[in-house]
Amino acid sequence: MENSTGVPRLPFKNRLFNAIGVLQGPVLAIIGSIVVGGIIILVSGRNPFEAYWAMLKGAFAGERLINLAATLNRAVPIVGMGLAAAIPLKAGLFNIGGEGQMVLGGFSAALIAIYLPIPDAIMLPVVLVSAAIVGGLYALLAITIEDRFNVPLLIATLLLNYPARLLTTYFVKNQFRDTVTAANQTLPVPAAARFALLTTGSMLNTGIFIIISLIIISALVIHRTVPGYNLRMAGLNRRFAIYGGVDIRMLEFKIMFLSGAVAGIVGAVVVLGVFYRYVDMSLTAPAYAWVGLMAAILSRADPLGVALAGFIFSAITTGGYGMERDTSIPREMSVFLQALIIMFMAVRTSFQLKRKTR
Amino acid sequence: MRVLGKTGRNAFHCVPDQFTGRRLGRSGMRPCQTPSIARGRQLVCGLTVAHGMGKVSLALDMIPSAQTAAPLLQLATISKSFGAVRALKEVSFDLLAGEVHALLGENGAGKTTLMNILYGLFQPDEGEIYVRGQRVDFRSPADSIRAGLGMVHQQFMLFPSLSVAENVIYGFEPTRYGIIDRKVAVQEIKELSNRYHMEVDPTQRVGNLPVGICQKVEILKALFRKANILILDEPTAVLTPQERDGLFIIMRGLREQGKTILFITHKLNEVMAISDNATVLRNGRVTAELCTKDTNPEEITRYIVGREVMLEFEKPKQQLGNEVLKLEGIKVNDEHGLEMVKDISFHIKGGEIVGVAGVSGNGQEELVEVIMGLRPLDGGAIHLEGKDISHLPLNKRRKIISYIPEDRFGVGSVIGASISENLIMGYQSQAPISKRWILRPRSIASFTYSLVSQFGIKVAHISESASNLSGGNLQKAVLARELSHGSPLVIADQPTRGLDVGSTEFVYKQLVDYRLKGKAVLLISADLNEIICLSDRILVMFEGQIVGEVPGGRAEENILGLMMTGAWNGHHRADKPLAG
Repeated sequence: MENSTGVPRLPFKNRLFNAIGVLQGPVLAIIGSIVVGGIIILVSGRNPFEAYWAMLKGAFAGERLINLAATLNRAVPIVGMGLAAAIPLKAGLFNIGGEGQMVLGGFSAALIAIYLPIPDAIMLPVVLVSAAIVGGLYALLAITIEDRFNVPLLIATLLLNYPARLLTTYFVKNQFRDTVTAANQTLPVPAAARFALLTTGSMLNTGIFIIISLIIISALVIHRTVPGYNLRMAGLNRRFAIYGGVDIRMLEFKIMFLSGAVAGIVGAVVVLGVFYRYVDMSLTAPAYAWVGLMAAILSRADPLGVALAGFIFSAITTGGYGMERDTSIPREMSVFLQALIIMFMAVRTSFQLKRKTR
Repeated sequence: MRVLGKTGRNAFHCVPDQFTGRRLGRSGMRPCQTPSIARGRQLVCGLTVAHGMGKVSLALDMIPSAQTAAPLLQLATISKSFGAVRALKEVSFDLLAGEVHALLGENGAGKTTLMNILYGLFQPDEGEIYVRGQRVDFRSPADSIRAGLGMVHQQFMLFPSLSVAENVIYGFEPTRYGIIDRKVAVQEIKELSNRYHMEVDPTQRVGNLPVGICQKVEILKALFRKANILILDEPTAVLTPQERDGLFIIMRGLREQGKTILFITHKLNEVMAISDNATVLRNGRVTAELCTKDTNPEEITRYIVGREVMLEFEKPKQQLGNEVLKLEGIKVNDEHGLEMVKDISFHIKGGEIVGVAGVSGNGQEELVEVIMGLRPLDGGAIHLEGKDISHLPLNKRRKIISYIPEDRFGVGSVIGASISENLIMGYQSQAPISKRWILRPRSIASFTYSLVSQFGIKVAHISESASNLSGGNLQKAVLARELSHGSPLVIADQPTRGLDVGSTEFVYKQLVDYRLKGKAVLLISADLNEIICLSDRILVMFEGQIVGEVPGGRAEENILGLMMTGAWNGHHRADKPLAG
């Protein structure tokens, strides 16, 4: 088999094998967690099949597929934050400060939309770009701290979550509080800054297209461009990338900016698509950033995989509500299942490592 | 097999037909012992070695003794592989109680692997370890510590923010009612440091201490854990000459107190200065077991760098072109401020292969890294084709200098990526690989496919993972990538280390072909035969300096060997006749 360039093509069978090899880990992890979760349900005296069926219905069914819409809506921030974690992860960097970057992005999106006189026509793009810049700069701060003061990036990103969360809470309780309502929230954003709803009965909105395009763009950039190649090589073997002439420090700064920018956009999408205002704790309480990080790890930082893994995590959570309604198994079961998946992934990784060193 | 001496059951066997040093005898007999400690044992001094050129076997001072004590530590036919790489091949040697035993070898000879096996970090694939005649199985460092082994790593394993005492007692804390008894700890450490002449204040914070003292803390840590056998991994690499002398005094003190020391190094003068016996490793095999006082640096050098098969290589004459690389007074200091390269100047012309010979660790690595821009220049200037590139960033230098790195697995390739991804590194931002930052998969495929067929890299498919390549094939891929740049200079750092004869020959041919195109080649190698057979000119590096220059064809191995050990007096340039 040869194509126009005269290079023999990899047989279909081999390509199929490679694809199975990539998917094998996550699929086994999910199956494993379902089995263990089922045993737990069984031990607690309920029927696991009934429970999982309720979970499936809760995640995907409902009148006019309303539950599927809810799952998709929840998947938007999870997948977005998964992408924000996956981009640096692919280059071997750990950005676990996505939460802070997202919060600042969402908060600044709300403030800009409310207080700046921006023409309606360019309102959304301007707000999204500003949120991206704010999130990106906050991520840059973390890597600058690493560069200047030798604080490991992991620590720097993690710790920077707290000032972001606490400062926004402070501002939203004081200076920027909507005094008409009792809650800690800003004024509502103008109509031009809102994403349109796609369904009735759920908050699924056009913001999902922003996330879908981010996923597609990142997948293309990572796999089809020179910076993406440099990023992947840096993640696989940093010394090889340096040796190959990649300006790795510069690359890492860029990657962190992009990661923070994605997180900032995700914050803005939730604020402008679901709440129409910045509500204190609305972005941090559901732990979007952390579930997203799990999705990134589960998918080995592949953008398309992140989308799938994020969707699965979202489905488990929404399904958990359905299960609680129908079978009285508490919805915390879904958190348990998510944790099991990650544990199975971790077990597999260490097994592989062992096999290599032996 | 030839039996040299026969004294009852203490027959001293020399096995001339083996190239790799198997043990001298199972009875724990050794080539040599320290007389002061070897009371009651036979004083045998001899050596059994065989190498490519001639087989040497001699036995001296055959003094029969009543009984033979088992060696303190015995390694029997240890083998260890990592994937396709055989890091250790049937390595055997004995460590006698109360000796300082040097373990020598180039980078990659297997010293570190052996050490990690002794420390329980790796398990051998085959072979056994005996301590005092008892078979032991080190599953973890804890097992190794329990058996009385203490390790002083090259990179210190200390908590900088804790005090000396806290570091030393870590994991083995003296307690009183379940609470750490600091007083006793400090007291014990003071006693220990006095006994072994190490002035260390146990209350000091480790982070504030100089490297020399940190090393003493590491030794104290091992002694505190009741270690009888101390394994020092290249302990002098980070030390100044004064600190090194201090360490030797400590090592002698330890030996006097009955401790046994395994001293890993590749510095010959240190072996001569401190050790009683030496074992030489090359390519994962023991090539010689020597008694220090009966050997000399040149002999040891031969065992370190010698090659079994002398490759004859026909090298066509080549007209020299313009000066390609010119180094003027290059100086490089390492992280600790030690001078690694001291004032080196030389040039390479187009169509010329210049070889840099030397035992590794004499500044070659630093020299290469500074030419590539991987390390800052601390003095002097680098010119390439007349242009000053001293401060050109690495990514720009990569476009004009090809570089075959010493570590082809860790630096020269990405095992986790596909073969084509390995082959386009360095070309990725230029046509035909990419156009305005967009990679062009079809061009990449045809480009890499042409390299694969041109260099005969054996692969099933270019999108296959590079981890499927054998060492020789991987090196071919590195060569294919670097030599098709067409850059005026290629730096080949240990290009054939660990390769089989066929791949080695291939590498030679490629380098000579590159020279025939009028390009300049800088060859760094610890393999003397390789240097002699490929180079037009040979520069010998010793302790960061070029101590001699010899024309390639006329080079004599023993003179080079002398130069490499620093035993050759004065500067010899090509234009002056060589003595001997």
